[in-house]
Amino acid sequence: MRNIVEDIEIRAREELFINIHPIQSGGRLTPEAMKAVIAYGDGYSTCDWCRKPFRLDKIKRPPIEEFHVELAEFLGMDQARVVPGARRGFQAVVSSLVEKGDSVIVSSLAHYSEFLAVEDAGGIVKEVPLNEKNIVTAEATARKIEEVKKETGKLPKLIMIDHFDYMLGNEHDIRGIAKVAKEHDVPFLCNGAYAIGVLPVNGKEIGADFLVGSGHKSFASPAPSGIVATTNEWVEKVFRTTQMVGDVTKRKFGIKEVEMLGCTLMGANLIAMMASFPAVKERVKHWDDEVKKINYLMDEFLKIEGNKVPSEMPRKHTLTKVDTTGSFDKIAQTHKRRGFFFSDELSDRKIKGEFAGATRAWKLNSYGLTWDQIRYLAQAFQDIAKKYGIKVLQ
Amino acid sequence: MSEKAVQETFGALFALTDLRQIFRETKPTYQLNDEQKKRVREIVERVRQSLDVIEKELIK
Repeated sequence: MRNIVEDIEIRAREELFINIHPIQSGGRLTPEAMKAVIAYGDGYSTCDWCRKPFRLDKIKRPPIEEFHVELAEFLGMDQARVVPGARRGFQAVVSSLVEKGDSVIVSSLAHYSEFLAVEDAGGIVKEVPLNEKNIVTAEATARKIEEVKKETGKLPKLIMIDHFDYMLGNEHDIRGIAKVAKEHDVPFLCNGAYAIGVLPVNGKEIGADFLVGSGHKSFASPAPSGIVATTNEWVEKVFRTTQMVGDVTKRKFGIKEVEMLGCTLMGANLIAMMASFPAVKERVKHWDDEVKKINYLMDEFLKIEGNKVPSEMPRKHTLTKVDTTGSFDKIAQTHKRRGFFFSDELSDRKIKGEFAGATRAWKLNSYGLTWDQIRYLAQAFQDIAKKYGIKVLQ
Repeated sequence: MSEKAVQETFGALFALTDLRQIFRETKPTYQLNDEQKKRVREIVERVRQSLDVIEKELIK
């Protein structure tokens, strides 16, 4: 069997190939989440036992309310909500805090959805430049705050910085930035899309006012799914309930939270997230081993003459940018398949997830691969190099 | 009765989901260690038992 219905093929990439796609690895489902998808795929499946006060995060069967409490605890925050993707978390916070013309400080490596969240609220992004190592520092953030204040006469309304960015997978000085934010009395949102669910994250220990995570990037959950968490100080602002009253019917929906548009993440996505949670709580304890694996892989990768790693080294994250301009791209220049020769070679070795046809700068992610798979991958890169006469150091 | 057959259907699907996980852990060489081979045997047996129940409940 190859198709679900005509034109929709079965996706067996994770069963058949080593998948090094940069954004897919942390969202790969646990078996428990796959079972949840089977059992809770029907539309309003989470609503069988929805009783007063009729809000998703208050449902006790299955234990959605309990999950919300435990999720906040897991993140070291006071309250958490699940949302359809990290972007909806950014949007909820930005929409609550930012008004037309307000400035929001973001990283020069910020994800585009942070830009859109600010634009949606009528705000203006102000980017913190990177240092020479492509890191956002507390000092640069402090300078940017002063610059915004001088330029606009007002402090920025929010600082939104990624713990690990999506371009290089570099770690940014979020603790230092949180401190600077506090000193200037500006709330700080830590974007943990590439952190929450794969490595230990504690919002209060970081000093964040808001934490945002991605279910489908890092929490072994289907897309779209995400998390927004905050402290008691901000709960009433960001998770405020509706005050609206219908002028004809006088209807009001008091318990519903405005930024969540009432109920948030429902059905299979939420139950899969909950089903993965025990495994997620366990796997973050083994982040050190994931870091060891990517560093081993990069050490082997760098034995191929001409290969470079633009991401910070040694690696602190499994998401990594590599540069093969000096190796595989040289072969691509004269190969009849151009850059696709490299994809063909990887595919022949049952490896997928590279940017097809790219032989200059591209990204990979080793998260979740076993040591056997990591060694297989390292060997595959070296074998391809040797096949085309590229020198490999012993 | 059909409730039992429904439960066994989920039981079989879940067991096969565990088999998917073994594929994921061992790809692309599928060289299973003793523990993984044991798990596969258990899964196959579990699915067979479920299919027997489904057949008995619904067809025979």
